[in-house]
Amino acid sequence: MIIMSSNILSGVDTVLDVGQSWITINALIWLWAFGFCHLLFMNTSDSEEDSYNERSALVQCESPTIPSYHQDHDMSLPQETDTKRGRPVSSGLDEPGLVERERAATPDGEEEELTLKYGAKHVIMLFIPVTLCMVVVVATIKSVSFYTEKTSQQLIYTPFKEDPNSVGQRLLYSLLNTIVMISVIVVMTIILVVLYKYRCYKFIHGWLILSSLMLLFWFSFMYLGEVFKTYNVAMDYPTLAMIIWNFGVVGMICIHWKGPLRLQQAYLIVISALMALIFIKYLPEWSAWVILAAISIYDLIAVLCPKGPLRMLVETAQERNEPIFPALIYSSAMVWMVGMADSNNPDSADERQRNEGGALAQEGVESEDDVALGGRRRCSAEEDLEEDRGVKLGLGDFIFYSVLVGKAAANGGDWNTTLACFVAILIGLCLTLLLLAIFKKALPALPISITFGLVFYFSTDNLVRPFMDSLAAHQYYI
Amino acid sequence: MDLSSVFFIGNIMNLERIPNEEKLSLCRRYYLGGFAFLPFLWLVNVLWFFREAFLKPTYTEQLQIKSYVKKSALGLIVWVAVLTTWITIFQHFRAQWGEVGDYLSFTIPLGTA
Repeated sequence: MIIMSSNILSGVDTVLDVGQSWITINALIWLWAFGFCHLLFMNTSDSEEDSYNERSALVQCESPTIPSYHQDHDMSLPQETDTKRGRPVSSGLDEPGLVERERAATPDGEEEELTLKYGAKHVIMLFIPVTLCMVVVVATIKSVSFYTEKTSQQLIYTPFKEDPNSVGQRLLYSLLNTIVMISVIVVMTIILVVLYKYRCYKFIHGWLILSSLMLLFWFSFMYLGEVFKTYNVAMDYPTLAMIIWNFGVVGMICIHWKGPLRLQQAYLIVISALMALIFIKYLPEWSAWVILAAISIYDLIAVLCPKGPLRMLVETAQERNEPIFPALIYSSAMVWMVGMADSNNPDSADERQRNEGGALAQEGVESEDDVALGGRRRCSAEEDLEEDRGVKLGLGDFIFYSVLVGKAAANGGDWNTTLACFVAILIGLCLTLLLLAIFKKALPALPISITFGLVFYFSTDNLVRPFMDSLAAHQYYI
Repeated sequence: MDLSSVFFIGNIMNLERIPNEEKLSLCRRYYLGGFAFLPFLWLVNVLWFFREAFLKPTYTEQLQIKSYVKKSALGLIVWVAVLTTWITIFQHFRAQWGEVGDYLSFTIPLGTA
């Protein structure tokens, strides 16, 4: 048999060209979806108030009269293991502090301490998925050369081609690309908020399903193809079809319907990594950095300004006591609410049924508290209805963190830079979560981390790397 | 723990918290779904409901859940056997099959003769 050259794979390349248009369509969907991904919530145990809001949730969290750190630690640990092993949280009668949630009158110091400790637990819970996502992206970048090969094709959102010869023109074009990209994102976010305000849930749900389908099937197909090519493995169509079909369908089930939490988290990490890889491949060099910076600024504005679209989205969702859409938010803990179908609150029951299609019911249970008898239900072991809801991080954040670290790994391939960016992002995430614990409202997760990441990247690349190189060249160990 | 008038939303990790009928229904749906060429779904079913079916004290629906888990495991084993056989055959005989082998191939390793 003659030796097969890579021309035989041109069929795949033409498919990939067709894929370009698919990619742009899908990127459209995703950019729009990112629009509201840059949110960070912290929801803890339920509050007894009539109207749920982020502020009160943490205040009403368990505040027993246990003064010492050690006991608090013990208290939070069984809660965590409870969620893991599934014992009802309030049934632990040896932990009276857990049960007494309705205690409103607590000293501020203990609240703060509990809040911060609670937040610390969730910092760790978020570190792991963010790290995993970045590890997947960096591993792929380092091994599969496809994602670092520069193509002449670009997304339509970055229409200006950077000319590597002229610095000024390159800078100008990257700024223009950024402006185009950010305006697309802004427009998409506003459309999304408008749709949400006017309750066009079916439309939004349809979009989400379409975009997850695209991601789970098409992008993973491309990814697998590239991995097989890199490792020179023969793969046949039937087996490939089985793999992609299984991966995609189980992914759709887990994300949009019901499935084991760990599997859902794994799928969210994988799709964030896939999306980040697409961005790394198709965004031009300088534009990518400027876009990262611009997106963090946009995130800051959109979430914190009173008229920002994302803030309006969050507030609308909270007013209606509805969860934000699934499939775009990663939750660090189980979100499962039991609704007692009382006749007293039919509207909340309706709402919940409407959102039943796989929605993460973060705030859903609060609406029952309107009618509930002041939290007495929580005391009884049979009616354990609460859940540790944990911290939620939008998928857009995962994606942009991974884009930053991936680009650091792709450029020059120096591990110093990559690790520095990784550490910077984690530090930024820590700080953001700390601020979240202090301010207790939805915060943008991008700005601090991306700023640190960019600073660390450019300084490491331009200062530390030459330094280490010349140290090594002169065999001078410090 | 009778939570009959209960309904739940969203993704579940904790099978403890949902009532047995719902567990059964979920197990059954995963089992039935696996017939659509989805051995992975059967695998998830087996892993997820294993503890429920075998390591828990008996309750009414447990027998049915057990049967679904066993059937899913059986289906999974069958699929694994089929796929392994096919993959072995393909990898071994791909070069010899000539045109058919190329037609079936998604990626072809470079440099094989």
